[in-house]
Amino acid sequence: MIDLDHNATTPLDPRVRASMGELLAREDLGNPSSQHGRGRQAREVVEAARRRVAQAVEAEPLGVTFTSGGTEANNLAILGVARALAKAGRPHGVLTSALEHPSVAAAIDVLAAEGHPVKRIEVDAQGRIDPDMVAARLGAEPRLGIVSLAAANHELGNAYDIAAIARAAREASPQVRVHCDAVQAVGKLPVSFRGWGVDLLSISAHKLGGPAGAGALVHDRGLKLQALRHGGAQERGRRPGTEATLLVHGFGHAISLAASEQPARHANMAARRSRLVRGLQALGARIHGDPDHHTGNTVNVGFEGTEGELVMMNLDLAGIAVSTGAACSAGLPEPSPVLLALGQSVPLAREAVRMSLSPNTSDADIDAVLTALAEALPRIRKAGTAVRSAS
Amino acid sequence: MRVVVAMSGGVDSSMAAARIVDEGHDVVGITMRLYDASEDERRGRGGSCCSPAEVDMARRACGVLGIPHYSVDEREHFEAEVIDPFVRDYVAGRTPNPCTRCNQHIKFGPLLTRAQALGADVLVTGHYARIEDGALLRGVDPRKDQSYFLFAMGKDALSQVRFPLGGMTKDEVREQAERLGLPNAQAPDSQELCFVPGGDHGVVVERRAAALGLSTDALAPGPVVDGRGQEIGEHQGIHRVTVGQRRGMQIRGTDKRYVLRVIPESRTVVVGSAEQATARRLYVEELQDLALPPVGGSMRAAVQWRHRSAPAPATVSIEADRAVVEFDEPVGAAACGQAAVIYDGDRVCGGGWIAATE
Repeated sequence: MIDLDHNATTPLDPRVRASMGELLAREDLGNPSSQHGRGRQAREVVEAARRRVAQAVEAEPLGVTFTSGGTEANNLAILGVARALAKAGRPHGVLTSALEHPSVAAAIDVLAAEGHPVKRIEVDAQGRIDPDMVAARLGAEPRLGIVSLAAANHELGNAYDIAAIARAAREASPQVRVHCDAVQAVGKLPVSFRGWGVDLLSISAHKLGGPAGAGALVHDRGLKLQALRHGGAQERGRRPGTEATLLVHGFGHAISLAASEQPARHANMAARRSRLVRGLQALGARIHGDPDHHTGNTVNVGFEGTEGELVMMNLDLAGIAVSTGAACSAGLPEPSPVLLALGQSVPLAREAVRMSLSPNTSDADIDAVLTALAEALPRIRKAGTAVRSAS
Repeated sequence: MRVVVAMSGGVDSSMAAARIVDEGHDVVGITMRLYDASEDERRGRGGSCCSPAEVDMARRACGVLGIPHYSVDEREHFEAEVIDPFVRDYVAGRTPNPCTRCNQHIKFGPLLTRAQALGADVLVTGHYARIEDGALLRGVDPRKDQSYFLFAMGKDALSQVRFPLGGMTKDEVREQAERLGLPNAQAPDSQELCFVPGGDHGVVVERRAAALGLSTDALAPGPVVDGRGQEIGEHQGIHRVTVGQRRGMQIRGTDKRYVLRVIPESRTVVVGSAEQATARRLYVEELQDLALPPVGGSMRAAVQWRHRSAPAPATVSIEADRAVVEFDEPVGAAACGQAAVIYDGDRVCGGGWIAATE
């Protein structure tokens, strides 16, 4: 099996699996909130993980709130902060883009339904965002209190200059809160909460070699937000619920590896990606997204006259995992909102296939994918023509 | 050999997949999403063949069988090739046959093409029919035989399609499905059209006719008249009326009256006695030739003119662009828009759509 769907999830790093196994074997761990020895032991595991997360993204441990993953971190950042700002009588509108992950976009839809102002910034045909445009929109719209933009796009792999965006945003509106969904960035790009000058940063463990079910919202230690859950004082009241000691431990280990190995991982992936892109172009592919600024692991590609779904299925039957990036609404594939936001037509958007590499992807893997594509594309094209003429 | 199985989520197609897996082939399950059933499901009218629950059922059956499963979006084709013609037929006073059109234009059209796009040599469905030596035959279970709906599948498809259930009875299918632990072994048979989950096709016709910009005049209540033109009652729209039917209209008097004709222009439904509601001759268009005589020829055949009718002996004459079916004895309830399927014993020789009756 060749896995080119690492933006969906990454396999558990064997080193993380080993350390999680050791923790799982321990019998001295209680509830981290308990005052007794067993509780303190567990608390220390959780706090060690918190320090690792903070160190990995250059933040302080008191500014790390553990969540169940990226979706919850994004929801908590957007809903929790906008509602708190509204309650405090401060500007609480959100400036975002049409490229964001559904866990950001849908949370913002909830805010819009609650009456919060929502504005979307224009992107160009490569999905690039101009920091000056962010500043201009904030300057023109005083009701905006939050900017929410991803550091790396989940479908295109575009990388954004979040530091420049945050700087421009603050110059236009000193009080603005900048939220950055960094779920697809950690481990692929250098990520720095302090260096970027953001207020909120979302991370997910299972996108960087850790276990699914853990993530974090990183923020300033004094952050005020309205919790989405109720019933406990865990995570300083920001995220009630007993901490998932085992998962958080794996998360801490995985993110510290991801941060320290990031330059090497990026170099590895970027080299394989270049090989993949060259091969795809030789097959006549269209590559979507920003050619100059990217995570180094993602290629969003379309083959003229071939449905992305059929490419995905053919590759799957050849033992290769890729994804179409199509959003699923009630189990029905809808064309990717990201590609539509780039100005692509619905038929073109339906051709899109996302291939996302891991640091372990080899040249042989890439060549096998290209061979499988060269075999599948002619028969898909043939069928694609027939499908169209039937209608 | 790679085989794609069209899986609805029901027991038949799952069992068809199981039999093909058993033969040792490289089998892939595909479920078509034909229309957006999520709204129906939210309202508790789920269970139709393309609802998320049924896709999930197909996926689970594939899980039991250890084969990959995909769902594909065929909503656009289905709307254009099945739902819209269905609506147009009713608005024009005909009685449509959407299942045959779905087989012709979806399953053995784009789905077969998709199967080929996946490198499959064969497409399998759970139909109760047989293909032997290039001939399409009735399924052996007379209660389940679906050959009537397959006459338009096309000659080419006969060599690209297999029906593993054609030699089985429904009881055998359920029993084997149970033994294999398929999750839908005891799921009830679907009795209604998949895109009309509430069973009320009238609402679908009204809504879609308006969306298509068709005149909906004919869908309003109108007069029911007898053979002399005397108004004797009212109907609730011609799309709720089928030739041969005798219920569903408010008619004065106690005699049994059958619908003889539907006249969309005046929204009139003509009724008469059982004897009057018969046809001796059918004019059949859009002929599908699986094993018909050449133009100018004729054959003795058994012709089935609706799904549940017994085949009736007839002489079929093939003309340039139609066939004329001359029954030995008059038959009841032959409706324009329905399929007339021409059998020689168990073999489907061809068929077409009833354009006129006499």
